[in-house]
Amino acid sequence: MLRFLAGKGVQYALVLLFAITLNFLLPRMMPGSPLVFLVGEDIGFMPAAQRAQIMREFGLDQALWRQYLIYLGNLAQGDLGFSYQQGRPIAEIILNRLPWTLLLVGLSLLLATLIGVTWGLLAAWRRGTSVDLGSLGVAMFFESTPSFWLGMIFIAVFAAGFGWFPIFGAQTIGVPLSGAAWVVDRLRHLALPMATLTLITIPGMFMIMRYAMLAVLDEQYVTTARSKGVAERRVIYGHAMRNALLPVATVFMLNLGTVVSGATVIETVFSYPGIGRLLFEAVLARDYPVIQATFFIVTVSVIGMNIIADLLYPIIDPRVRHAR
Amino acid sequence: MRSNAAVKTTAEATDDGAAARAMAPTVRAPRRRFRLGAVGTVGVLLIVMLSSAGGLAPWIAPYDPDETVGDPFEPPSSRHWLGTNDVGRDILSELIYGIRISMTVGFLAAAVSIAIGTLVGIVAGYFSGWVDMLLMRLVDIVLVIPFLPLMILLAAYLGPSFWNIILVIGFLVWARPARVLRAQVLSLRSLDYVDAARALGASSARVLRRHILPGVLSLSLAQFILAASGAILIEASLSFLGLGDPTAKSWGSTLYYAQVRSAFLSGAWKWWVVPPGVLITAAVLGFAFTGYALEEALNPRLQR
Repeated sequence: MLRFLAGKGVQYALVLLFAITLNFLLPRMMPGSPLVFLVGEDIGFMPAAQRAQIMREFGLDQALWRQYLIYLGNLAQGDLGFSYQQGRPIAEIILNRLPWTLLLVGLSLLLATLIGVTWGLLAAWRRGTSVDLGSLGVAMFFESTPSFWLGMIFIAVFAAGFGWFPIFGAQTIGVPLSGAAWVVDRLRHLALPMATLTLITIPGMFMIMRYAMLAVLDEQYVTTARSKGVAERRVIYGHAMRNALLPVATVFMLNLGTVVSGATVIETVFSYPGIGRLLFEAVLARDYPVIQATFFIVTVSVIGMNIIADLLYPIIDPRVRHAR
Repeated sequence: MRSNAAVKTTAEATDDGAAARAMAPTVRAPRRRFRLGAVGTVGVLLIVMLSSAGGLAPWIAPYDPDETVGDPFEPPSSRHWLGTNDVGRDILSELIYGIRISMTVGFLAAAVSIAIGTLVGIVAGYFSGWVDMLLMRLVDIVLVIPFLPLMILLAAYLGPSFWNIILVIGFLVWARPARVLRAQVLSLRSLDYVDAARALGASSARVLRRHILPGVLSLSLAQFILAASGAILIEASLSFLGLGDPTAKSWGSTLYYAQVRSAFLSGAWKWWVVPPGVLITAAVLGFAFTGYALEEALNPRLQR
């Protein structure tokens, strides 16, 4: 159990180190002055004195390893850099955006897992029937559909067409709302992006659950349970499902990166003011420090979610809990 | 119990087929492992249809996709079946030429990733020990990193170009194939003929080249096709975010311009947004179907 967590810890530390080092090296390794990337393309218009001061701030006149130490030190203090284009510290920009993404990703993941796992269970139970094969076909179709395209169609049909949902954003701007109206307003803005992200996340969960369930149903203890006359319902939920959920939990963690990636594109389509939309805006504006900080924060969030999942894993799998 | 019954029917059907083939003495039974099944056939058909349309683009596309041939935002008509875009170019022609870009990027990116994946998988599986541990650690790390933000970061720095997109995708999606291939190498390595070759004094290089590589190539092919399906989808996402090659418009770029011009707010989405998405889905599905069918036929771990 401890060894399992320690191994995971090393893995996440290495991922973090990779992200940090990449962020550090990219602007410094590109041809031309790193200032173009650290400050922005209008560095040419900046007075020489100010430019020299920024050079000093980043330690650009010093050896690379000293720059790296300065960089690490700043990061450790929660300093994600400064967006010269927006004239604000990046940490502040990201803190404004992060809650929206967490809301979107969190709810979609929860919903997609519930639906996907139940659906996969039912399909595996009815293995080989038209229900099972049809489900597989639908799942593969949605796995192959570009998420942003699905979002665009949803906007065209449900928002612009029927007018059931707002077309963009996360809240109505300029109208003061309170109480229930405030909540309803946020939920109506959340509905379409969440539906899109959920729909493209379900197939992955469905596939894993179905395969895991098929494997478990072939196990001897399932046959034993059936042959001693345990009710089918109890065999499925009591014996098979509980074991099939284990690989689901593992792949769930592996999928987090994919779901977050999906959110990036979906937020862009819906102009949903989360981290993904921020990344898109930064790419359009060539605001490199923001692109880097966003990548860093997304990586940290994915690692964070992985750690939570790792800590929960022993609870669902007693074998991990008791192993040395 | 229902599931068992279903399995039996399938098994019986297969047996009947085999019996029928055995009774026709002049027809040799096809090697079972290369049968693709209905899903695989649909997949191959989709790929063949799309690639031939892409290959024949200059002959079947009604207009030059880079030429202004009408007014901006024209709805579909007999002259422009899918209307025109924001600068008066024919959308249908753009999509037909887009096949070339999307599928080429998918193929080349998949080739890069499978080359890396196969190398890593074989080396890790064959040498085991600390080499294996190190490489699999690397695989774990690559799998945890949120790949799209990383690709966006790299593409933003390297600049949007055809080759940069291919390299960025290729260098970031090799981890899954590496893992699958390593498992295959592990099972191959313990086979008698590999032991025999080693006992006869064959060098590692020779064993790898003559005995291990041929055994994983077919599985590499299945992984290659699955990777191509993923790469097409990723290319579409990157192009949609404005990071595609501006001189070579793929399906994703078409959707980028449709999004920027708010095509979904007017009726234009029916001919400007729907068709490229359907094409992307068809291409991805074609490769995915083929890949899954191949993987199921070739991967001993999936056979029951």
